[in-house]
Amino acid sequence: MPYGLLSFPQAILHVDADSFFASCEVARHPELRGRPVVTGLERGIVSSLTYEAKARGVKRAMSLRDVKKICPDVVFLPSDYETYSLYSLRMFSIVRRFTPDVEEYSIDECFADLTGLQRPNKMSYEKMAEKIKDTLDSELGFTFSVGLAPTKVLAKLGSKWKKPSGLTIIPSNEINTYLNKLNIEAVWGIGPQTTAYLNKLGITTALQFAEKNEDWIKNKLTKPHQEIWRELRGQMVYKVDPNKKSSYQSISKTKTFTPPSSDREYVFSQLSKNTENSCIKLRRYKLAAKKVFFFLKTQDFICQGYEFKLVRPTDNPVEIIKMIDKYFDSVFSTGRLFRASGIVLIDLVENISRQADLFNEVATAEKISRIFGSVDGISRRYGKHTLFLGSSLSAMSKHQHSGDRQIAAERKDNLFKGETARKRLAIPFLGVAG
Amino acid sequence: MIEKYKKQIVQFYRRNKRMPNFSEIMKLLGFKSKNAVFKLVNKLAEDNFLTKDEKGKLIPKNLYGELRVLGQVEAGFPSPAEEELVDTLSMDEYLIKNKEATYMLKVSGDSMKDAGIMNGDMVLVDRSLTAVPGDIVIAEIDKQWTIKYLRKSGKDVYLEPANKKFPNIYPTEELNIAAVVKAVIRKY
Repeated sequence: MPYGLLSFPQAILHVDADSFFASCEVARHPELRGRPVVTGLERGIVSSLTYEAKARGVKRAMSLRDVKKICPDVVFLPSDYETYSLYSLRMFSIVRRFTPDVEEYSIDECFADLTGLQRPNKMSYEKMAEKIKDTLDSELGFTFSVGLAPTKVLAKLGSKWKKPSGLTIIPSNEINTYLNKLNIEAVWGIGPQTTAYLNKLGITTALQFAEKNEDWIKNKLTKPHQEIWRELRGQMVYKVDPNKKSSYQSISKTKTFTPPSSDREYVFSQLSKNTENSCIKLRRYKLAAKKVFFFLKTQDFICQGYEFKLVRPTDNPVEIIKMIDKYFDSVFSTGRLFRASGIVLIDLVENISRQADLFNEVATAEKISRIFGSVDGISRRYGKHTLFLGSSLSAMSKHQHSGDRQIAAERKDNLFKGETARKRLAIPFLGVAG
Repeated sequence: MIEKYKKQIVQFYRRNKRMPNFSEIMKLLGFKSKNAVFKLVNKLAEDNFLTKDEKGKLIPKNLYGELRVLGQVEAGFPSPAEEELVDTLSMDEYLIKNKEATYMLKVSGDSMKDAGIMNGDMVLVDRSLTAVPGDIVIAEIDKQWTIKYLRKSGKDVYLEPANKKFPNIYPTEELNIAAVVKAVIRKY
């Protein structure tokens, strides 16, 4: 493969937190260090796990009962998304100390473009990667895995190369060594279908793929895979996009409730609550949804859903709930126990003023949207859900989880004077010191 | 009056992510004619608040008055209070130096009472600092957080409480210091 003369024509960094949610828990609970820790108790399934739990055979999405069978001493904790979000923001801010070009890829991953910053930062790319990792490790109190390479696809491969707490640097002239040891299915963006196809063509390693010539690639593969081929060869196709996640393809809110319920009104109110929450997020990003999908999950994990289109893009929960009510019975059936409800808002567009219609519905809708402007204002001042819709009442007035899983995240039991259950200081809480 | 108009236009711009057109300004400000809008726009262009493109559409310029240098009157009169407050700190800035490395804990017990740290107090701690003897630190002892003075005598590093009823703690293995205490907060 022909490579440029530079080790890093561009220097792209990928940062990946090691078992993020579980790590946030261990960072504030010294007594948990070295023990198998798992989060997701409120849903009854594993959402994040420490390496100690992984070593015992625990896997993501395993049920609480199965985990207890293979690992009786497991520490199963409820998720504390408030704390995880605070840690996530800190992770991005720390990387931004070194470069403004940071792409928040997910809650526990980001890309950063370090190209050209050796002089202002007074250090080499390798040193920068190391410094970023050390700062994250020490200031957040748990470990991160970092990959540095000339492209995003290679950087991502780097951060996965050695985990946990790895620092893998892949300069242009060493790409081959890494690709040679890598199976093609481990490459970011190559799914099982493409893997099977490439295997048939005699390609099993990433290196065999990268060494094919352009004609061959163009002949056999579609554009996205041609792009991955370029990226693997060290030619940047995917840019780091530093614009904060301000547009969403879809917004979804799913919530499990315990005990499971067969009460129509209660299950509906759960859905209503999810709708309100998703609309709060819509309004925050000044978006409106054109399509809605909602679903219910039964006690035995069977999912039933319904998708409908809205007459016009909206961010108004009342309009959406009205429609859900219309189709609710095609999903709900009496006598069955339901454990979760969810809503997905699809086809999001920017929320701008709309064309008037014949029956003046737009004018009414605008009035309602002014009401929700005030609702958001009141929430900012007094906390989320100070005002909510009547249809959400049963869900709002009861604990999301009662019985043996009624374990609120620890933070809610450790309020300081002046904090409320709805509004707390935005600083991670490390616990109690004697 | 013109400041009020500007404010309304800025609000429109925030809401819609674009500048209003002439008829929208007319409606927005309650003007009776587009000519009045035209005059106002010219005035605002003079003030560098906005400008026009070649087709006459409005483009924002210094909507938020970024160009205003303190002490110099560029657009309107800056309030003198604004200037005087430049060198002040918010409570957050006062208490927190490194935002990303600052955490809080709740104190339990009275082992630090002579240092003025009481049961139930909130402490703000910094994970990025290296502790030196004399600092109040959060250390890990028997898999629990403890808050104590870090002391050194000869080669021995140990933890000292601020209460005679409690003994010094001499770590048997390596002493793991998680953070340095930077502030104590008690709300009444």
